[in-house]
Amino acid sequence: MDALLAISNELAGAVEHAARSVVGVNARRRFGSTGVHWRAGLVVTADHTVEVDEDITVTTPDGRTLAATVAGRDAAIDVAVLRVDAGNLAVAEITAEPARVGHIVLAIGRGPRASWGLVSAIGDGRRRRPETADWLSLDLTLYPGFSGGPLIDARGRVVGMTTSGAARHFQIAIPAGTVDRTVEELMRRGRIPRPHLGVGTQTVRLSETLRERLRTDQRSAVIVVDVQPDSPAAAAGLMVGDVIVALGGTRITEPGDLRAVLRPQQVGETVTLSVARGGEPREISVTIGERARRS
Amino acid sequence: MISSVPLDFAGLADTLRRLTVEITDGDASRGSGVLWPRGFVITNAHVARRSRLTVRPIDGDHLDACVVARDRDADLALLRVAGADLPMATIAETPARVGSLVVAMGHPFGLSGALTAGIVHAIGPIARNGAPWIHADVRLAPGNSGGPLADASGAIVGINAMVGGGLALALPISRVLDFVRAAGVARP
Repeated sequence: MDALLAISNELAGAVEHAARSVVGVNARRRFGSTGVHWRAGLVVTADHTVEVDEDITVTTPDGRTLAATVAGRDAAIDVAVLRVDAGNLAVAEITAEPARVGHIVLAIGRGPRASWGLVSAIGDGRRRRPETADWLSLDLTLYPGFSGGPLIDARGRVVGMTTSGAARHFQIAIPAGTVDRTVEELMRRGRIPRPHLGVGTQTVRLSETLRERLRTDQRSAVIVVDVQPDSPAAAAGLMVGDVIVALGGTRITEPGDLRAVLRPQQVGETVTLSVARGGEPREISVTIGERARRS
Repeated sequence: MISSVPLDFAGLADTLRRLTVEITDGDASRGSGVLWPRGFVITNAHVARRSRLTVRPIDGDHLDACVVARDRDADLALLRVAGADLPMATIAETPARVGSLVVAMGHPFGLSGALTAGIVHAIGPIARNGAPWIHADVRLAPGNSGGPLADASGAIVGINAMVGGGLALALPISRVLDFVRAAGVARP
């Protein structure tokens, strides 16, 4: 049973290590949630657990109560960033190594409390690309108050932020890389811009002739069926009937790929669209726009 | 390297099965218990409601038992069994840590010798200013009461007593030792 004991000790050590940077977040009337001291002075938590704008506090592992203010938030990603005067509070050890399906992970809640399980799926249910994954699906229990806490690996390194979602049906984690980018954007712009091209597309099969001419082996691409007026696509001269094969060098095989490839930080940047127009390959530069906000 | 040694949950289950008894009252199964040294059994007070009970080790015969101490507030009872050469539990030397692996052995719904595994979720009171309990992310069912919560080496860290909020709630072994000491029986 030595192996079991060794693993058991590693798991307990991992919780101890990670718990140093786990705080309680008191920002709703019901019981509080959990947060991670992600960067010096910045605590990350689940946006849906921040229900008030004022009188927010965080509780440190040694029981101190610190005042906190909202530094930025994004409801769609479910990430809120709180600014605190953290003093000597340890900053979380975050790993860039992507989690894999089957990895043993632990969710940590304020206290500390812990639950363990596996990464059961990666992606949005349809997609399976770790580098563009929007969340990790977890086979573990997120107990009340866990939302906003860290998902850690067996070494105690943070691989994501857990959330049961506002609907409370889910056991998911936002990957650490996504949280990192979100924090970066929120600190830079104060909000998360939604990238926008302004095209409607449908999947189209590439014939062998076209594949040869485009020097690609991909079986499908997307055909433009609509170009919105005054959109970045219109400004770039994209036309109905153009077949988009790649964006910035990344293959586009179905309409969902366009959304997946575009990142918030690309808003304002110019990228190259590889298209086929009338069967001839062509490169079109397009400046990524920002989708109008609904509020 | 820990990966060079097989993970032996089955061995752990075998160890605990030898130490866990089923406690019956007439024909009805009441719960589980842990074999203590010198012919004693530890269980919950809510399992040992009567003063005379029957205890059955797995793969063993029914043994008569009588309650020698019972503390309803602590939810613990100590039974003396009439049996020879019974194995005895190993008591964990260190308290359970949050995140460490734990297993529960018992007779959920009368199913004999069932093992469930998880980790320690938290150590803390279940009522304001109460004594600490072990909260474990382990599945329990009626019939697990009085059975052992053990660490990865098979040493007993607690006695499973109830379920709350989907979590197993176990009495820490330190409280059990206090109870046994008060009853005048030394630790193993």
